[in-house]
Amino acid sequence: MRKVYFFATCLGSAAMQDSVLNAIKLLRREGVEVIFKKNQTCCSQPSFNSGYFNESKTVAMHNINLFDEDIPIVVPSGSCAGMMGHDYLQLFEESPEFDKVQRFAARVYDLSQYLDEILQVNYEDKGEKIKVAWHSNCHALRVAKSVEASKNLIRKFANVELLELEHEEECCGFGGTFAVKESDISNAMALAKIDDIKKTGVSYLISGDGGCLLNISGTMKRNGVDIKCLHLYDFLIKRLEGAPL
Amino acid sequence: MSKKLPHDQIVKIKLGDSQLRQNLTVAMHTLQKNRLNVINAKFKNWQGLRDKAKKAKNNALMSLSDRLIEFEKNATANGIKVHWASSATDACEIIYELMRQNNIKKILKGKSMASEEIGLNHYLANKGLNAIETDLGELIIQLNDEAPVHIVVPAIHKNRNEIGKIFQEKLGADLENEPEKLNQIARKHLRDQFEGLEMGLSGVNFAMSKEGAFWLIENEGNGRMCTTAPQIHVALCGIEKVMESFEDAATMVHLLTPSATGQFIPTYNNIITAPRNEELDGPKEVHLILFDHHRSDMLAHHDYYEALRCIRCGACMNFCPVYDKIGGHSYQTIYPGPIGEVISPNIFGMEATGDILTFCSLCGRCSEVCPVRIPLADLIRKLRANKVGQGKNSPLSTQNGHKNRGEAFAMKQFANVATNGALWRFSLSKAHLFNKALHKFQNSIPVIKNWSKYKELPQIKKDLYKELENMEGVRYE
Repeated sequence: MRKVYFFATCLGSAAMQDSVLNAIKLLRREGVEVIFKKNQTCCSQPSFNSGYFNESKTVAMHNINLFDEDIPIVVPSGSCAGMMGHDYLQLFEESPEFDKVQRFAARVYDLSQYLDEILQVNYEDKGEKIKVAWHSNCHALRVAKSVEASKNLIRKFANVELLELEHEEECCGFGGTFAVKESDISNAMALAKIDDIKKTGVSYLISGDGGCLLNISGTMKRNGVDIKCLHLYDFLIKRLEGAPL
Repeated sequence: MSKKLPHDQIVKIKLGDSQLRQNLTVAMHTLQKNRLNVINAKFKNWQGLRDKAKKAKNNALMSLSDRLIEFEKNATANGIKVHWASSATDACEIIYELMRQNNIKKILKGKSMASEEIGLNHYLANKGLNAIETDLGELIIQLNDEAPVHIVVPAIHKNRNEIGKIFQEKLGADLENEPEKLNQIARKHLRDQFEGLEMGLSGVNFAMSKEGAFWLIENEGNGRMCTTAPQIHVALCGIEKVMESFEDAATMVHLLTPSATGQFIPTYNNIITAPRNEELDGPKEVHLILFDHHRSDMLAHHDYYEALRCIRCGACMNFCPVYDKIGGHSYQTIYPGPIGEVISPNIFGMEATGDILTFCSLCGRCSEVCPVRIPLADLIRKLRANKVGQGKNSPLSTQNGHKNRGEAFAMKQFANVATNGALWRFSLSKAHLFNKALHKFQNSIPVIKNWSKYKELPQIKKDLYKELENMEGVRYE
């Protein structure tokens, strides 16, 4: 039987618990055994992106030591998967632990890549015909490069039409600490993204990243925009179970 | 440039300027589309060309002292007078001396970011001398007493109605808004200026050490007027512009205009090898100033040398989701956008320009479009590390910058909790209990209040860990 570590991410553990549980369900329905290390924490992006490399290394090494068995580490966020699978290498580029970090990084998968490319899942759609738009998280797109896999999962559902945003590759203004350090600019970016989403006329926006979703849905709510934002893994489970979105 | 405003203030002013926002959004999306169209239509292997360009530039940088000596030797043999300047002031002084010796009161300039970097117009104005811009965009902002908003399209923040008003106010022209008529006004004004021109100034796109020549590209022809019409032509060249061969420079030119404006080739390619020889026209003297201005400090740096590959195409700002919201003036330094965030602290110092390092969500789009593969987002992150005192070989004046003690303390606390599983679990499993308090006090809790100013907070749900312990097929250990 396949066996994986699951890394819930800090945002998943703190604010998006349902998405974490649904992500694990998706692995379970493929018969994968999931190991949840209870001492796991955060991938350290908040400190890394703010330039606090020393603190980031300490936190990264905590995770590297924790997930020590030679099995995949599956992450339900392209952003954190990009951090652990790619940026950790930069963080430790000249340190004596580099080889160890490299071996760890090679085992990190974004969940959608694991489902689409490794498990090659088949999904049967139990939902009604709908149109949805997709928001690409920047690090999923450019670092983890997991966006195609995420979209492939959505495309497996016969009754779901996936619409592309005109400016899909433009950041929504989350950017972790950026959203609070430059909140005025972040808001302007989120509003531009929402205009782009509204142009598609969809009622649902799907994304594979909790941070972007909190940013976009929080801004939509504040501005009275009636579009439902769903995490990819919540969306997949609901379509598979035929539950209302 | 005018006095620097506080960071938050300039951001608010620019974000609130709806005309600026609209002009920039439309212009940047057009430039993005143009770039993509030309790459798809004309290039079989764009990514391979980027690799080739990176290699050629790195080769030149890694042998820069040889390149510079070779360039000086060959250019001198061609009859070009080569000058050396260490600082911005040195470069200004060389130009001033040339004007003084030849009793020249006015120079005309082709577009040159290097001249902006050394503050030439301001320096000459203080000596009672005139430097007049001939590039249409530069002319518009010079008339309006502004700095360039963008390194390639310096007046892109102004629409044709606004430009018509500037021409009416500053040149006494009739109020127009048709591009053809606006061009006529500018053309007439500039033709009058070109008459009797004694000295012209230009930048340099690429200098070739083997040939001792230099290459200039432009679209309007005014730059060529500045280099061919006067008796004396002075070219201003950062030392990183020197490459080995004509072939290397050609690789760069192929990448430059598609990245900048989406043009396959520029309107004019001017390759200058010598002053007037047997011919009847052309300048009698050609001077080239090689200036450093902290480029050799960057070259010695393990990471920041990569930014010296920059060919000033502006693609990083054309694609930056922050730049098109706030515009180039918000950076309050000559070089805005992602490349500006990397080179401004290196050239002008962290204390003067380090505040702009927050103008980045690290989306990485700049690194993706950079034709010479400068890892801009990674370098911005490394400069943030320098700024908080955790980077290697910090650039200028970093130690004088004001460190954010509150943030440093918060990051230490974060690391303490994020390396202690039990403490982490305890904090997060209880988080949902604070839902009510969090929402009630969202406008007064630091950090949270910056979020809740514009965005709703999420409702924190159940205790994840309890659920996981009881989940079938999950080993919770």
